Amino acid sequence: MTESKDFLAGVDSNAKKSPRRIVFITRRTSAQVKAETEDQVQTFPEVLFRTAVAIQLLAIVLVWIALFFNAPLEGIADPSHTPNPAKAPWYFLGLQEMLHYFPPVVAGVLIPGLVVTALIVIPYFKVNIEAEGLFLKDRQGRLLMFYVAAVALCLFLIVFKVYAALVPTLIVSALMLLAARSSPQSSSMLRRYLAARPLSYWVMTWFLFELVVLTAIGTFFRGPGWSFIWPWQGSL
Amino acid sequence: MAKTVDQHFDDLRQTRVWRSIFRSGTGSSTLKRALAIQQNVFLHLFSTKVRTRMLSLSATWYLGTLTLGAFLILVATGIPLMLYYHPSVPQAYADTKDLQFVVSSGMFLRNLHRWSAHAMVLLVFAHMFKVFYRGAYRPPREFNWVIGVILLLITLLLSYTGYLLPWDQLAYWAITVGSNIASAVPLVGEKIRFLLLGGHAVNANALLRFYVLHCMVLPLVAMFFVAIHFWRIRKDGGLYSHESEPATVRANAAGTQIELKEER
Amino acid sequence: MADEKQAEQDLSRRQFFVRLGLGSLGIAAAGTAAFAYQYLEPNVLYEPSPVVNAGKPDRYPLDSVTLDVNSAIYIIHSQEGFFSLSAVCTHLGCLTAWNAELNVIACPCHGSKFEQNGRKIEGPAPKPLPWKRIWLNDDGDLLIDRSADVPALARDSFVRI
Repeated sequence: MTESKDFLAGVDSNAKKSPRRIVFITRRTSAQVKAETEDQVQTFPEVLFRTAVAIQLLAIVLVWIALFFNAPLEGIADPSHTPNPAKAPWYFLGLQEMLHYFPPVVAGVLIPGLVVTALIVIPYFKVNIEAEGLFLKDRQGRLLMFYVAAVALCLFLIVFKVYAALVPTLIVSALMLLAARSSPQSSSMLRRYLAARPLSYWVMTWFLFELVVLTAIGTFFRGPGWSFIWPWQGSL
Repeated sequence: MAKTVDQHFDDLRQTRVWRSIFRSGTGSSTLKRALAIQQNVFLHLFSTKVRTRMLSLSATWYLGTLTLGAFLILVATGIPLMLYYHPSVPQAYADTKDLQFVVSSGMFLRNLHRWSAHAMVLLVFAHMFKVFYRGAYRPPREFNWVIGVILLLITLLLSYTGYLLPWDQLAYWAITVGSNIASAVPLVGEKIRFLLLGGHAVNANALLRFYVLHCMVLPLVAMFFVAIHFWRIRKDGGLYSHESEPATVRANAAGTQIELKEER
Repeated sequence: MADEKQAEQDLSRRQFFVRLGLGSLGIAAAGTAAFAYQYLEPNVLYEPSPVVNAGKPDRYPLDSVTLDVNSAIYIIHSQEGFFSLSAVCTHLGCLTAWNAELNVIACPCHGSKFEQNGRKIEGPAPKPLPWKRIWLNDDGDLLIDRSADVPALARDSFVRI
């Protein structure tokens, strides 16, 4: 009467649905849970002391900088006299640089809006969660899509004369081409590394690159009338 | 034999007053150390134990911690600065000059506040990129990533509102440019700008609104979201490290499913 | 035995570093506290100067008691000369007034009354009205320093023309 049966407990842990776990237990047995054990340490002192040291180091660096470099202060605000150039705070200079090429609706609203939206939805896409190398599967198809996207983007930038943004695009595209020609068995460590990078990595790296380049140009290479200057020609 | 200082401290710790404040007391036993975290209203956001892998510097570069540190420095310098600052036009500019040249340590406080603000924006961006590149946004941590993006926006807003307060040319025109960008939003842009500035131009109303935003509203909102951000870290199983994730999460990342077999 | 005792008295490396750390922290905290206190005390006050210019002495006829409400002082020209009283009641800070008919300085708040020389006649005020330093400047103006108290009825507390 007591037939022993083996039960398989299937777990569907698809990230799109909340996980459900079903365990079947036969009579006179108990569910065994394999606990994963891992090295643990006490929060106090390990975490707290490391945190305290990190913050203290930051404080020391900032205090040193504050002792030797003064915060800028120009003349009193004068609505009747616009300084030339009138620059936004440095973290908005990338945006201001783009305002040079595109109308405010695009550069000021559309692009930042798209960027923020794109950032927010990153973790909700399966392709970002799985994070496999972009060209490891369906290489030809994906390579074709890459060519289309890269060429379209470059053309778009050239048409609007955003040459500054073209440079990171070209560099990242070149790296992606190298990744497409590499595999996990490639000779150099760099090629193995690139081959394993997923799409999200390429997009984010391109974004980071653009952010740095555009902000740098807005900070150092723009002078009166938002004209192009060399950094040593203008005053920061 | 006369008592040493340490022995006097030990006596102090045995008094009723001390024990009514610090209930669990100090000590190096595992229990005492766990209680020090668990019984503390500020610290019990932490768990009493953490996985060793979470401590690794190379994993996170401690960027989140440093961002929090920058925020604390900003609050600690910002509040004293408020004591000498009147948010009116043109008094604000005179007060900023006062802080630099008349008030004792005023120059230092202002400098520290300014450079910590720049550092915080930089650290917040660096933290975001580091979290992305090590994949710490994946389930079950998706929502914490979204909270992080919200905190990024709050940080930028805090920096932007603070920028106007010295009321110098740099401040005035930077905010004018920024508010004009805001007015480019279709349909509601002009209204947004009007509400933000409290008028049609950057004037006394704008200064006061930015002051209230910068010193009261945005810090409270930031602290609210920071609390959620830390709470989510705890509830999501601590800091992300691939090897430490439960098998199901690791399987997800590999795009496979997992079968559990019952053992006798 | 002696070695053990020696070891007990010697500082262990851990103890040394703990003391070094706590000591440095203490010094830093003390320094920060000192600088913080200096910061909190304003170096510049946006308040009017305590020194008041009362004008030429002939504005004040003999045996007159004049109240300057803006600076809260009395300028009194008596037989001995000119002197100045604070008009702020010593009870709780209300502005007193000179009643010529009754020849008293009276406080409207709680009924304190003072003589012309500041001495209290009646009321809850604990102290007499203080005398303030008065002198003539180079232009011949009467100057009163509200922050400087002088002894009542003393010779140098009067200005004699």
